[in-house]
Amino acid sequence: MDPKCVTFIIDSDVKNVPLVGMSVNRLCRAASYSALDAFNIELCVVEAVTNSIRHCYGGKGGHEVTVILTLTNREIVVDVCDVGPPISPGVLEGAVIQGPPGDVADIENIPERGRGLGIIRKIMDSVAYRSEDGKNCLTLRKRLPTKEKASA
Amino acid sequence: MEIDHEAINHVEVLYLRGRLDAASARQLKDKVGSLGQENRVNLVVDMAGVDFIDSSGLGSLVSSLRTVNKVGGDVKLSGLQDQVRSVLELTRLDRIFGIYDDSTTAAKSF
Repeated sequence: MDPKCVTFIIDSDVKNVPLVGMSVNRLCRAASYSALDAFNIELCVVEAVTNSIRHCYGGKGGHEVTVILTLTNREIVVDVCDVGPPISPGVLEGAVIQGPPGDVADIENIPERGRGLGIIRKIMDSVAYRSEDGKNCLTLRKRLPTKEKASA
Repeated sequence: MEIDHEAINHVEVLYLRGRLDAASARQLKDKVGSLGQENRVNLVVDMAGVDFIDSSGLGSLVSSLRTVNKVGGDVKLSGLQDQVRSVLELTRLDRIFGIYDDSTTAAKSF
C-alpha cells in the first residue's frame, strides 16, 4: 500500500483542537484500530497539539499548528509541528506520568498539570522530537493492529 | 462542554456533557469554585455524557478535589465511559476519586 497522508492546519486556539482530534480518531477507526486504540491515538494528538499551543505559542491564537497524519501498511505516523521556541532538551525523555503520592490522602501534592507527554510516551510505540531552522516537530508512531485484533 | 447542576439533599451533582479538555477545563473549575464559595462542597461529577478527557480535563478534576477538600468536602465521579475510565487508570488518578456507576449511588455514598 502506498502511504496515505493528510495534513491539518489549525489556528493556535485550543477550541480548534477537537477538530483535529476527532478527525484523527475517525481515520484510525478506518485503518482498523479498535475504538480504544483510536481514542488513545486521538488523546495523544490532542495532548501534542495542546502542548504546541501552550508552550510554543503561549496559549495565544494567530499561529499555525500543523498535524500531518501518514498511514502506511505497518503503522500510523503523526507529526505535530509548530514554529517557535523548541522544548528544552531532555523534557521528552524525562516525561513520565506523575501518579498520586503513596499517601493518596495527600491531595495537595498531586500535580494538576504535566501529564501530557507522559501519556503520549505510554500510549505510542515511539515518540521523537526534532527542531530545525525554527520549526519543531513531535513525531508519534503506533503500529497498526494485527489482523486478529482488528475486529475489536 | 455543558454542565447541568442538581442538588440532591446536601450533595451537588454536576452533569457534564461533551469533552473535558483544555477548552472546557476552566468551566468546571469555575463552577466548583463558585459552589465552594457557597460552602457546597460535597460534589458528584457525573461523566456519563463525557466521551473525551485529556490531561487538562484530569487537571480540572484534581483541582476541583483540592478546592473542596480544603474545607472538608469531596468529589466523586460517576458514569465513566470506558475510554474515560481508561485514562484515569493510565494516570493512576482512579486511586484518588471514588468512582460509581451512577450519580444516585455516588450521591448516596456521602
